[in-house]
Amino acid sequence: MFLINCPYCGERDQSEFTAGGEAHIVRPKQPTELSDDQWAEFLFMRKNIKGVQLERWNHAHGCRKWFNMARDTSNDRIHAVYKMGEKPPIK
Amino acid sequence: MLNFNTPIIDTKKYSEIKISEIEPILKINLRGKNRDFITKIGKELSIITPVDPNTSSSNEKLNLLWLSPDEWFLYTNDKLDIKDANLLEDKLFNEISKVKLGSVTNVSDHWIMINLNGTKIFELLSAGCPFNFNNFKNSKGAVTQTLLNHVDVIIHNKNVNDLNLFVRRSFSAHLWSWMNDSAKFI
Repeated sequence: MFLINCPYCGERDQSEFTAGGEAHIVRPKQPTELSDDQWAEFLFMRKNIKGVQLERWNHAHGCRKWFNMARDTSNDRIHAVYKMGEKPPIK
Repeated sequence: MLNFNTPIIDTKKYSEIKISEIEPILKINLRGKNRDFITKIGKELSIITPVDPNTSSSNEKLNLLWLSPDEWFLYTNDKLDIKDANLLEDKLFNEISKVKLGSVTNVSDHWIMINLNGTKIFELLSAGCPFNFNNFKNSKGAVTQTLLNHVDVIIHNKNVNDLNLFVRRSFSAHLWSWMNDSAKFI
């Protein structure tokens, strides 16, 4: 269990949030021109790194807003929380 | 406003806690993004629209709670008769929804309001809630949306040791039972 600083509501318990997977995946502009492999790559393939990962989270039991987070998957340390549409503060 | 149909209609008293359902009251969900919408709500309701997170504003008749940057929850202080409630809803609908400034949804039957009163109410809430009430309990008008015994709730800190809790109707009987069970052990 850990605390997440929601960019709208402030610091809340992790149990109020749901994880939405890897962030900043860009939808292909012309999906019909992609091969099945390329479409599957966009749709299903996600990084599963040990270290700092950029993720989408939703404050499901609070303001119900989506936001992004840079989280270290090895120790759950949160390096940054930022709103949708903003650039990640760390790479 | 729909015909109210609540599964609880009860009041329970324990040593330092009183739990009672307050119904029927009018509850309206307001959604909108632009500055005109925020100004319009304030003007129509004669109330300052709270734009700071986890806050609310009130007058003698109404309470307006901040739920998210584009969502507010309006409820009445007293039990309204259906005629008055319809007038308020129609007024907001005509001034906001009809002119596409935002959305106005009557959620009176969707949420059940439970009033908690007494010196140990925060001990009761803390028994099943991940939210930290340390600052909340000293801030009059504070609002939070969180989980209580795994059930989504909106909590409005009306006054010292006096708060209103909103729970979805379908979960209300279960949460009511849990609160009464827990209150016996506090």
